[in-house]
Amino acid sequence: MEEMKLMLVDDEERFLSTTAKLLARKGFTVFTALSGAEALENLKRHNIHVVILDVKMPGMDGIAVLKEIKRSFPLVEVVMLTGHGTVESAVEGLKSGATDFLSKPMDIDELVQKAKEAFEKRRRLEEKILTAHSDICKKSSG
Amino acid sequence: MEKEQRHEKLQDMILVCMILVPLVPFLLTVLIGYYYFTSALENRTVSATRRIVDDHRHMIDFFLQERKADLEFILHSYDFEYLSQQENLLKVFERLQIKSNTFVDLGVFNQDGVHVAYQGPYKLTGRIYKDEDWFSEVMKKGYYTSDIFLGFRRVPHFVIAMAKQEGPKTWVIRATIDTYMFSDMVKKVRIGKTGEAYLLNREGIFQTERRSGGNILDHDPDFAKYIKDDSEIKTFVSRDFQNFEYFVATTWLKDKEWLLVVRQESGDAFSDLRHASYLILLISVVGGGAILALAFFLTNRIIERMIKTDMEKDRLKEQLIRAGRLAELGEMAAGFAHEINNPLQIIKSEQALIKMILSELVEKGLINAPEEMAEVEDSVDQIELQVNRCSAITHQILKFGRKSEITPQDIDLTEFIPDVTHMVSNKAGVNGVGVRLEISDNTPLVHGDAGQLQQVLINLFNNALDAINERHGVQGGELMISSGPDGNNMVRVSVKDNGCGINTEDQKKIFSPFYTTKPVGKGTGLGLSVCYGIIDAMGGSLDVASEKGLGTTFTIRLPASINKR
Repeated sequence: MEEMKLMLVDDEERFLSTTAKLLARKGFTVFTALSGAEALENLKRHNIHVVILDVKMPGMDGIAVLKEIKRSFPLVEVVMLTGHGTVESAVEGLKSGATDFLSKPMDIDELVQKAKEAFEKRRRLEEKILTAHSDICKKSSG
Repeated sequence: MEKEQRHEKLQDMILVCMILVPLVPFLLTVLIGYYYFTSALENRTVSATRRIVDDHRHMIDFFLQERKADLEFILHSYDFEYLSQQENLLKVFERLQIKSNTFVDLGVFNQDGVHVAYQGPYKLTGRIYKDEDWFSEVMKKGYYTSDIFLGFRRVPHFVIAMAKQEGPKTWVIRATIDTYMFSDMVKKVRIGKTGEAYLLNREGIFQTERRSGGNILDHDPDFAKYIKDDSEIKTFVSRDFQNFEYFVATTWLKDKEWLLVVRQESGDAFSDLRHASYLILLISVVGGGAILALAFFLTNRIIERMIKTDMEKDRLKEQLIRAGRLAELGEMAAGFAHEINNPLQIIKSEQALIKMILSELVEKGLINAPEEMAEVEDSVDQIELQVNRCSAITHQILKFGRKSEITPQDIDLTEFIPDVTHMVSNKAGVNGVGVRLEISDNTPLVHGDAGQLQQVLINLFNNALDAINERHGVQGGELMISSGPDGNNMVRVSVKDNGCGINTEDQKKIFSPFYTTKPVGKGTGLGLSVCYGIIDAMGGSLDVASEKGLGTTFTIRLPASINKR
């Protein structure tokens, strides 16, 4: 069983560093990115399972990043992070393929909870793919 | 107040216009009509009187001419010798009386004025008239009609005498006219109630009786006023010695010796005129009064309506400004809240990190000061608490600013209000508040989002319960919720409490965002402004009426749904 790899994407540097420290202490492998571009770069280099993505960022905003992630890395689960605290701002994210959303300010446990759920979803999906894949292999070999 | 002054000015203007515009033509019509009508009536009266005077003059003239002709006929038909015989004179006199019964007697005189023969009621034969005025006159002119005089018989009478030259001698016949019959003849003119006719001689002595007083041979005290040099008919208005006003017409007759006076009291002569004048006056007063009353009434109505409209306009303007300000504030607040959430998030993360590190240190036994540690932990927990509090505020602000999707539907308030009231019944019960519902069965349906309306009602209920609690503690509170139709297709919902009330100053601000009278941490000051925004968006209005220390009533007015229950 592979360990969950998380990435936090936000333009607030201090938020990233502190949250990364907290998550690291809880035993998670955490990557951080200050912008959408950096996040996409990280995704190319590392096998990241779950991305916590802020909706409002300068330059490439959260929704654009989400769409790009879903296009290039369809298996990556994305949890949107919104400052609006309401469903509306998250709805567009959900429509564009986000797994869930979190509203600021949230507890670290909340974040861990949602991340775990997302990772679980990803795991189940991967399992399904693997099973399907092995079926195909069996049929082709058998 | 500037507005009041404007209203007063407008009121004056409308009033003046409404009075003058109908009143001026009305009065002009009445006055012009009055002038022409009265002058026509006056002319008619004057000319009628003139005609009467003229007719009368002719009649009197004709009478005198005829009597003269009678005598002339006798004079030329008989000679002195014949008439001097008493029996002949009787025959002639009898014939004369057949012709006119106004002849009283007939006498024959010789040149020396001796009454040679006499036929009549008096014993005048043999009397000598040589020195009498009438005799010398008739001897001089050949014809004479006297004024009325008493003469030997001491009875008023007048005589017609005529002289005839017979050879060297002149003789005279004389007839006396019955003054009373003559007087009656002159008198018999009747005009109106007070009209009368009489004769005066050149000295103003009555020659005939006057009906309103004035015996034959009396002097008419008003004579001086009647003399006009003209022989034409004169008409004029004059006051008599008793200060009665008379309409008088006069004319001379009998070679300007007698003056015919026809007079009538002015009031009588012009009675039609007077009646017409009274009627016109009455119409003017009633009509003018009606115009004034109508002007005042209508002006009041117009101004009342205008004040009402102005008030309505002000209210609408205020609502519009309030709604606009609310929308602006909502957006601004949402922006702020969003920005504040980021630092809050960081504080929260830092706090979580501190807490985690501290617990790790304690676990490892690196900190050996449990008392101080407890204080630090308490402090760190307090940070979390306060961040959460901030977070609650920002979320509420965001909820206020958001334009969330709503699902409008018809809401039956007769069921909806009891349902919502039930949600606060527990709190009400705990606070000892009696909740009374007066939901009219004919409360129309309203159209709107049930969730929002619930939010509004709950908010109002909670405010009411807080206010009651502040004033009464846990007993004696009353909360009444009523609803019903409100005219103009509106629905009214009132929430009335007997709580601490809101002072006038605060009433103006309670719908403004972030305005609260509650203690710090108890309210955000957003509840009522959110309610206001919701009701406003539903096309309704939210008003407050309150008296400090007595209670508060919030009234929601919503448009009724087009669907009927």
